[in-house]
Amino acid sequence: MTDVLLPLAVVVPIVAATLPLALGLRYDRVGWPIAAVGTTAVAGIAAAIAAEVVFNGPFDHALGGFLPPVGIELVADRLSVAVLLLVAAVSVATLAFARVAGPRGNPFYSAYLLLVGGLVGMTLTGDMFNLFVFLEITGLTTYALIASDRSGASAYASLKYLVVGTVGASLYLLGVGYAFLATGTLNMLDLQAQIVAQAGYGDPLVRASYAFIATGLALKIAIFPVHSWQPDAYQRAPDSVTTVVAALVSTTSAYALIRVTYTVFTVDFLAANEGIATALLVVSTVSILAGSALAAMQSNLKRMFAYSSVAQFGMIGAAVALANETALLGGIVHLIGHGIMKFGLFLGIGLLAFGYGSRRMEDLASAARAAPYTSGALAVLGLGLVGIPPSVGFLGKWYIGVGAVDAGLVGGGAVGIAVAAAIFVSTLFTLSYVARLLERFYFAGAGLPGDHGEVPGSGGEDAATDGGDAATAEAGDSPPAKTADGLPAPVEGAPRSSLVPDRVPTAPLLALGLAALATVALGFGGFALAAWFDPFLAEVFA
Amino acid sequence: MTVPTSLLASIPPYVLIAFAALAVLALPRRAGHAVAALATAFTFVQAVLLGDGGTGAHLATTFLGFDVVFFNVDQFSLLMGVVVGFLATAAVLYAYGSEAPTWVTAFALTYVASTVATIYAGDWLTLIFFWELMAVTSTLLVWQHGGEAVRAGYRYALFHATGGTILLAAVVVHFVNAGTFLFSATTGIHPAATVLAAIGIGINCGFIFLHSWLPDTYPRPHVAASVFLSVFTTKTAAYVMYRAFPEGGMWLAYLGGFMAVYGAFFALLQYDPRRLLSYHIQAQLGYMLAGFGLASAVGEFAVVGGFAHLFNNVLYKSLLFMAVGVVVYRTGVEDIREMGGLWRVMPVTFLVYLVGAASITAVPGFNGFISKGMVLDSAHEVHEYVLLLDSGLLWWLLVLGGVGTFMSFIKLGYYVFFHGSATLSPDDATPFQTAGMLLAAGACVFFGVFYTQLIEVMPFTDLILSDEVYFKPYSQSHLTESAALLVAGFAGFFALKRPLGWLAHRMPDIDAVLFPAAFYLGRGSVWGVTELWAAVDRATMALAGATMRTATRPREALTRVGIDTEIRAGIGRSVLFLTLAAGVALFAVLLV
Repeated sequence: MTDVLLPLAVVVPIVAATLPLALGLRYDRVGWPIAAVGTTAVAGIAAAIAAEVVFNGPFDHALGGFLPPVGIELVADRLSVAVLLLVAAVSVATLAFARVAGPRGNPFYSAYLLLVGGLVGMTLTGDMFNLFVFLEITGLTTYALIASDRSGASAYASLKYLVVGTVGASLYLLGVGYAFLATGTLNMLDLQAQIVAQAGYGDPLVRASYAFIATGLALKIAIFPVHSWQPDAYQRAPDSVTTVVAALVSTTSAYALIRVTYTVFTVDFLAANEGIATALLVVSTVSILAGSALAAMQSNLKRMFAYSSVAQFGMIGAAVALANETALLGGIVHLIGHGIMKFGLFLGIGLLAFGYGSRRMEDLASAARAAPYTSGALAVLGLGLVGIPPSVGFLGKWYIGVGAVDAGLVGGGAVGIAVAAAIFVSTLFTLSYVARLLERFYFAGAGLPGDHGEVPGSGGEDAATDGGDAATAEAGDSPPAKTADGLPAPVEGAPRSSLVPDRVPTAPLLALGLAALATVALGFGGFALAAWFDPFLAEVFA
Repeated sequence: MTVPTSLLASIPPYVLIAFAALAVLALPRRAGHAVAALATAFTFVQAVLLGDGGTGAHLATTFLGFDVVFFNVDQFSLLMGVVVGFLATAAVLYAYGSEAPTWVTAFALTYVASTVATIYAGDWLTLIFFWELMAVTSTLLVWQHGGEAVRAGYRYALFHATGGTILLAAVVVHFVNAGTFLFSATTGIHPAATVLAAIGIGINCGFIFLHSWLPDTYPRPHVAASVFLSVFTTKTAAYVMYRAFPEGGMWLAYLGGFMAVYGAFFALLQYDPRRLLSYHIQAQLGYMLAGFGLASAVGEFAVVGGFAHLFNNVLYKSLLFMAVGVVVYRTGVEDIREMGGLWRVMPVTFLVYLVGAASITAVPGFNGFISKGMVLDSAHEVHEYVLLLDSGLLWWLLVLGGVGTFMSFIKLGYYVFFHGSATLSPDDATPFQTAGMLLAAGACVFFGVFYTQLIEVMPFTDLILSDEVYFKPYSQSHLTESAALLVAGFAGFFALKRPLGWLAHRMPDIDAVLFPAAFYLGRGSVWGVTELWAAVDRATMALAGATMRTATRPREALTRVGIDTEIRAGIGRSVLFLTLAAGVALFAVLLV
């Protein structure tokens, strides 16, 4: 049974992806149930894989009976299982939101399942070219999903991502081609051996290969300055799509970067090519700072957290480039934690938009009084993103920071210290925009002395300056309505719950609460996480 | 001696006095004052019993990692302990007789306790701690009286806080340079801290221009409080001055000389009796500092003269404050021009006053005559800036101060006790006031007659009494000198009575400048700080606002500076960035 778990995890969502389209010819609303069953099945399979890994250690499966290095291999180890669990959980949880918030229609669910399949494939594959294939599947479905609400702005954002993402994927493919030229193999583990055996870490082909791969993945991850597709994509995509894309797509790309860097090229390659490591480190550090500053400048919530991701993935990139055990552990923890937190944040923002029509910072005055649970969960997640302990955000940043300082002390270089300083500055920026959100939620607004709520006309001003490309799409936006108390008024037809005052759908609210809980709970699990990833770290730093 | 000195040396007297302060509050008035008198008397008895056999650094320990000595007994601290203990006992009796509120006595006792602790400190750290505590307790003692004393007490506190801080700085500098706080490890304070120490201690000593707190504060509180205040702070300061500068210095001697003249002159102009006496504190400190200042130039004789004068001054100065206090207490009048003819109705007070005045003006037979004679003799050996009679400037300054002292006490006595007919007919001193005064007066006479006993209490006893030193207080020349001073004083007072009266209304002291200056400086700095804060606030808010505007509308900000361009990367530019990034990465990887 364990033998088929790995291929099943990939095949189930991909096969399921065909069903909504096929059955859609006959039934109207068949997409969601199929997606729900499919993703739940993936989640079950992922859990089984995780159990297998925990009890019997890493295992693999050669597809179609063709043994590696020629055949394609799927591998599960502690790192890939962690990402796999994240993918499975988020894809199930997002469906709860997609059901109420749309986009509707069977093709959407086909693309959604295909995306899950691509992500699972990226996570499990042990083959460089196969990784490209899944990368492309993921990319293509993401393009489609972003545009799935058929608005002009999302179409533009999607097109932008399509063009840029295709170039990025091509760069990755180029890199893989170079590696193949140098070694004649595509299997990751085999490559690891063959690079040493046939080329050596100083070989220009190998170096160029890594440069192309890293650049291509950097684009997919959205590290400054090749992040420019990402804010548009996150902002313009439908809320449910943003939730899943922000939580998973960049995350699996970053996972791929870690996998390629440490499993294929290995830490010795980074040690032998200090220039590459330093370049990656510098870019990542710049990304941390630029992303944080840009995030602090935004007033659109989704855009703000989109830029925040640029900063957080900068930290993960830095952790990869620092090449020490503590930093890499921090990078991995932050990878998972960031996925959870961004899932929750975008879900919460989506819920507020769905229930109250608020998309901008200004619209949220006193939201905590109208929607206390949603706001509370968002506050917890936001503070986790800042890195207030106990939270998984704190753990990740802490390990990366400690690793950076260690690297600075050991190597004597100022770069490590600079990274730590950048993380600190970024934390301050994060605090500034999260605090702005909390201030809106809990302190600003109507009925309070010294009311500093809305300034009339502030919505229109923004539309004029919100960038030429998409301004028209929002030009007609007027500030959402207020109740007589001045609280955000629920939109017409907003769901009503008997349990909570929040006018938001219950199931996604539950998912949001779970995300907030997980953020805090994982914050207590510093040692557990370190123990979980220890086999992987021990292997790559052997 | 039945009590072993080791046991005695293990009891720091100031702790007992501090407990006595609590007892005064807790017990009935009579019992409380009895406990207080016993505690202060113990200080006296202990110092006497310890004598020369009990010297040493007792209660030496480490505090916060520094070596400290909490009960340092040597010749100098002993003589201070003797006189402070003795006088404090008399003052407690006096306070009891003056209907002083128990709070006054309690505060006064904490003040005495911190004074005694300062005296017995064996290192600069302990000393500065209790020095600051003296400032606090004495301020409380002043404030307790309420009314006018509050503002004066506030000024007093400012002065002493400033002085204490400067002395603290001196102690820190000393420690940094010397590496220890202990007195025994160094000779005085480190040279690097000279100026700081001189000013810090000098404020408490009433240096000219730093003295205005003296006449400002001491006339205001309760009469019993004045008695305590008049002797401890300033005399302890003189003692600490010697600790800091055991080798003296001519600057100190001349400063003392000018203080004697300055204090006596301004005393002459006063009509408030306690204010007049306060100026004399400054003048008398001048003599002490002159004695200490001549330590190197003249030798131990001058130091002993200074300490003898300090010792005597404690006795007669408080005696004078007691006598004047009785008059104020009985009449409620604080202007000597409204008094007069009181010698008939207050004979005891009058007699006591006479003893005190005779002592301070150095009439033969009283203790002031002995010690002032020693200081003058020392000054006579200095032949700098020789003026008349083959005597130097310093001697003349001290003599001039002496004449001024004579004149002002003739004035004080004349106005209070003679000067027309008695318009007031108060009772004489209460029994306990009388007891306190008689104790002090007796000591004044005793040490004037049996002057070798005074020298016995002093350090360097053997040296002074040996044949090497010419120490004959009642020699022909000294008596002549004293008589000349007396005559000059009488003649001067009655000749200059009218001009002095005229001058009294016109002559401003330094406080005419100092207090407004401090006031406007304070107001100015408050204004300055407020405005500076406001300016910083405005600038910060403007910067924050500009940053906000630029950050939230970056394109608008660019347009304002003349760049009208799209700053958000479109598709084309994004691809350009990507290819550039790939190019740079390749370039870096392959060429670096």
